[in-house]
Amino acid sequence: MSYLVFEQVTKVYGAVEVVAPFDLDVPEGELVAFLGPSGCGKTTLMRMVGGLEPPSSGQILLRGERLKKPDRRRGMVFQSYSAFPWLTVAQNVAYGMRYRRDLSAAEKEEQVQHFLALVGLTDFASEWPNRISGGMRQRVAIARTLAAGSEILLMDEPFGALDAQRREFLQLELRRIQQEEGKTVIFVTHDVEEAAFLADRVIVFTRRPARILAEVDVTARLGASRTLELREGTDFFGLRNELLHYVRSTASEEEGTA
Amino acid sequence: MPSRKAIIGTASTLSVLLAWEWASRSGLVSERFLPAPSTVLATLWSMIFGRDLLYHAGISTLRVWGAFTLAALMAVPIGIAMGSFRWVGAALEPIVDFIRYLPVPALVPLSIIWFGVGEGTKIFLLWLGTFFQLVLLVADDVRRVPVEFHETAMTVGAPWWRRLTDVSFPSMLPTLVDNMRITLGWCWTYLIIAEIVAANSGLGFVIWQARRFFQTPEVMAGVVTIGIIGLATDQLVRALHRRWFGYLVR
Repeated sequence: MSYLVFEQVTKVYGAVEVVAPFDLDVPEGELVAFLGPSGCGKTTLMRMVGGLEPPSSGQILLRGERLKKPDRRRGMVFQSYSAFPWLTVAQNVAYGMRYRRDLSAAEKEEQVQHFLALVGLTDFASEWPNRISGGMRQRVAIARTLAAGSEILLMDEPFGALDAQRREFLQLELRRIQQEEGKTVIFVTHDVEEAAFLADRVIVFTRRPARILAEVDVTARLGASRTLELREGTDFFGLRNELLHYVRSTASEEEGTA
Repeated sequence: MPSRKAIIGTASTLSVLLAWEWASRSGLVSERFLPAPSTVLATLWSMIFGRDLLYHAGISTLRVWGAFTLAALMAVPIGIAMGSFRWVGAALEPIVDFIRYLPVPALVPLSIIWFGVGEGTKIFLLWLGTFFQLVLLVADDVRRVPVEFHETAMTVGAPWWRRLTDVSFPSMLPTLVDNMRITLGWCWTYLIIAEIVAANSGLGFVIWQARRFFQTPEVMAGVVTIGIIGLATDQLVRALHRRWFGYLVR
């Protein structure tokens, strides 16, 4: 059975069509990047998966079940730092399990330690979020979502506010965590290189209303393992340039810089 | 080492006091109207023994805290409801806004008709002056909780009421404590009005009594007492704020 399916999903705000009828199949365990210009509607699509906004028409199915209200199965990582400032790093991670009844206190504690180690924050367990770097705060948010037991991670430009070095490091980290934990990820970004480096598959969007302009299977061309060497190779550049061309074509419509 | 800020603050306060002392002593202004700080201080000291100043200060403080606690206990849940549910806000805001703009002294006569001249009137006036201000501040603070916090809670499976207790409340708590500190200060204004109009105890009563006998030093000593209590409370709450919300420091 298909895993995550968008069926003729649309979104209309008043008179503004944000998402045109949209169809997509995402297999389990895939990291798919939504690449497109700012404000094109890709974030709206992702929020609809999370149940944070209802589609105007159409439906999103998870294993054949129509998705509605938000729940633990789909976790969000926002662009802004969403770690709660009044909780320590460890408490923030534990918050992901706060409403879970399937785990004992001891199991929860063990899970906290596991996910802290997974995102490399064991040494910062008792720090306050305001005292750690932006990159670390995003790792807290990722660990919290994993602790919640989410099978789908919805990430809205999570590394957008970070400098290039931290960004690259976290991209590698995310790829590793995703492979280890076998999670399905929808990663929204407007950064071409980020999409090419991280994703199994890149969906390039047009300007609003969101439509699929192109679809690029990265894993078929570069393989599933991502390293810094790969990033410096010609295969990667070829793919990046291809994506860049698509993105430029969306910009030229509006700004007339064809 | 005291900080530069502390040195400047102390120096400027001392210069004002010295200038005042000099103005009164030199006869530039009559001591009948503006007694010197030293006189006020000496009067304050003697009033502790001669006029039960501490008793009156205690009564006033109790009234302020009693009425304020009542107002806060009501304002926090109602304000959270107003800020969290649009329909509660829509239902209550017009009434709250109207009453908020009524000057408290204008309601003194009505309050005396309703509650007489006992403690009821004082509590009512103080409550009136703070509840309606505080409830709107609380509602605004709740609305300012980042939407990502709520959405995070929803996607880890929090039911709506747990979002109020686990997200809204802790998120707004630091601003709430700040707002309470400020509204507590306003309480003193209304207290003095209430005690001047209808009381036979409390600092307002003491000040008003002293005025009748033209005891300017006693009037000023009463005022200074209020200032001292206000400053002490403010500093105490600030210290607690720093202690409780240390996590906000970057």
